Amino acid sequence: MPGFDFSNYNRNAALCARGMSLPKATSTGTTIVGCIFDGGVVIAADTRATSGPIVADKNCEKLHYISPNIWCAGAGTAADTEFTTALISSQLELHSLSTGRKPRVVTCMTMLKQHLFRYQGHIGAYLVVAGVDPTGTHLFTVHAHGSTDKLPYVTMGSGSLAAMSVFESSWKSNLTQEEAIDLCSKAILAGIFNDLGSGSNVDVAIITPEKTTLKRNHITPNQRVPKLGNYVFRRGTTAVLNEKVIRKEELGNFVSIHEMTEEADKMEVDT
Amino acid sequence: MSGIFAINGGACVAMVGKDCVAIACDLRLGLQALTVSNNFPKIFQYGDVFLGLTGLATDVSTVSDLFRYKVNMYRLREERDIAPRTFANLVSSTLYEKRFGPYFVGPVVAGLEPKTGEPFICGFDSIGCIDFAKDFIVSGTATDQLFGMCESLWEPNLGPEDLFETISQALLNAVDRDALSGWGAHIYIIEKDKVTKRLLKGRQD
Amino acid sequence: MADRYSFSLTTFSPSGKLVQIEYALNAVNQGVTALGIKATNGIVLATEKKSSSPLADPTSLSKISLITPNIGMVYSGMGPDYRVLVDRARKVSHTGYKRIYNEYPPTRILVQDVAREMQEATQSGGVRPYGVSLLIAGWDEGVLPEEEVEALAAKAAAGKEDDGEKKKITGKTGGILKGGPMLYQVDPSGSYFPWKATAIGKSATTAKTFLEKRYTEGLELEDAVHIALLTLKETIEGEMSGETIEIGIVGPPADHLLGVEGVEGARGPRFRKLTPQEIEDYLTNL
Repeated sequence: MPGFDFSNYNRNAALCARGMSLPKATSTGTTIVGCIFDGGVVIAADTRATSGPIVADKNCEKLHYISPNIWCAGAGTAADTEFTTALISSQLELHSLSTGRKPRVVTCMTMLKQHLFRYQGHIGAYLVVAGVDPTGTHLFTVHAHGSTDKLPYVTMGSGSLAAMSVFESSWKSNLTQEEAIDLCSKAILAGIFNDLGSGSNVDVAIITPEKTTLKRNHITPNQRVPKLGNYVFRRGTTAVLNEKVIRKEELGNFVSIHEMTEEADKMEVDT
Repeated sequence: MSGIFAINGGACVAMVGKDCVAIACDLRLGLQALTVSNNFPKIFQYGDVFLGLTGLATDVSTVSDLFRYKVNMYRLREERDIAPRTFANLVSSTLYEKRFGPYFVGPVVAGLEPKTGEPFICGFDSIGCIDFAKDFIVSGTATDQLFGMCESLWEPNLGPEDLFETISQALLNAVDRDALSGWGAHIYIIEKDKVTKRLLKGRQD
Repeated sequence: MADRYSFSLTTFSPSGKLVQIEYALNAVNQGVTALGIKATNGIVLATEKKSSSPLADPTSLSKISLITPNIGMVYSGMGPDYRVLVDRARKVSHTGYKRIYNEYPPTRILVQDVAREMQEATQSGGVRPYGVSLLIAGWDEGVLPEEEVEALAAKAAAGKEDDGEKKKITGKTGGILKGGPMLYQVDPSGSYFPWKATAIGKSATTAKTFLEKRYTEGLELEDAVHIALLTLKETIEGEMSGETIEIGIVGPPADHLLGVEGVEGARGPRFRKLTPQEIEDYLTNL
């Protein structure tokens, strides 16, 4: 990224100094987890986005694509996780095209931590990075200030304690793929039900050397009960002062369209 | 209520219907408790895509002009209209560029996908995080009220006429419990081959 | 400041020519022939991988490059210049498009970006023009509703049959609205042309004459690959094999190359290079 635009910064700081509170950005709230198994790695996330106490999005996506074999779960400021992962994904794709090799998880983790460290924690992205590359299976966490961890099972976000309690009581080494999916889902469910910042559904991504399988809404434990009645209003309920209809076919009244002849369509060719 | 968002007031909502979408806004422009204008629309049309902007009025104007410029440049460069999803990503990246000095706006995008005719709506926070919704999006000082109204009134597969009644009632009743928005409303119902814009009467207090 | 003396090397001759650009075209016209053919359902790019010595290891050489998942490129002229352009094209497709719109650029937009890069080299100080011509092939998704595209196609087909009134939309494939295959040539001057089929490099004239004879409207991708190999055969100096020929195709989405399952709306890359084995198979059927 060529960099951020600070042109509104001084104005906003001045408004702030006059006692205006800055608007709150959407936060993921979030429970995200990752767990290595024999032959790959699983990451999982809940799907609630919050804005203060308000649930801003009931089914958002917190599992971010980096490359086919590397995926990232994001917690913290939603925009930051979205754009940081998209930026690194873009850089990694260009890197992989010019080297002619598959991207590596350590490369991705290093680029993320260097980017986040440069911004000293102001980019509020807390990430779980997971993937399989020619050097093996990897699982990392990256904090907003740029520190990283490498562990066989990890949790992050406001529901990380609830999720970690599941790992600490049930994790064992040499899990199978199904056991790992199950364990991660249980950890996310612990976050969904015990942490107010997390909620709705469980998303899971399974990364193996062959392929990545994304299971969007793998578990949906919070389906809304259908309403028995409805509030559809009788037509004409709302009083209208004025009405204007613009039809596509009437657009011709405002715009004239000229068909170009073959001759005029020809591109200018230098001699 | 000393937030920057609450200086001028205003509310916006978008809803998905069956083969149609609706987007609506109130008309108030205020300076804290003083109402300055009752004719300050917050919905802007760029080709077939509609953008609703709530928040700080100066930024609403600036950002709406900025996107008119960007969409016009896109149309000249690509010789086609921008699709709602593409426009949503443009809004997102433009807002995130100002991550550390944001515009104080809460944008809402509504339109129909040109290729499939599918309804598309989404909302953003002030730094560009997209909220893709399959039902409705709310924004502005009446957000809390609108969430309640929409959560109860909205249902899937409403036709254009029913969707109009639903979104109108949701907005009118929400802004009646928000001191900072109201003073009439604009409702757009967007269908495949026509757009209907209606002006609604609201309380003037 | 050094840049005070950094004037453009490309300056007008008294007769109004930019001879540096003509020299660059001369460099292109000494290059190995490359060709591209557009079919209704895809595009083929083909060239010869010529090694100067039998000791050279041809497996490391690659002349056809992927730019975006749906766009590929081949060149004629100076290899090192081409590699610079490939890097620039890939980078600009991200910085100038994907990071803004979260989608890859349509072919024409990418072509314009590459053409701008090449034009700037004809007017900037301290640089020389690029010594390459490019063929850029890509697939655009289009924005028109499907039924409208079908209606247009039906109209075009009807027009072809009775040949009465002049067709409003010709049988041409592609277009930014309609979507489909697009094939462009970009020259060192920065000018670019859309083609149904063309060739660049040493034997461009011979190859183009051959293509004019063999090209038909409504060509399928398989036929296009066949014609591409026949055209190369006319112009090639060495023997034809999977090792000495390079082919890139823009075809149906290769979902098996995606490496991901369960992502809504994700499609595989349309551009891919044929393996030496696949080329051998085409050659045996020639």
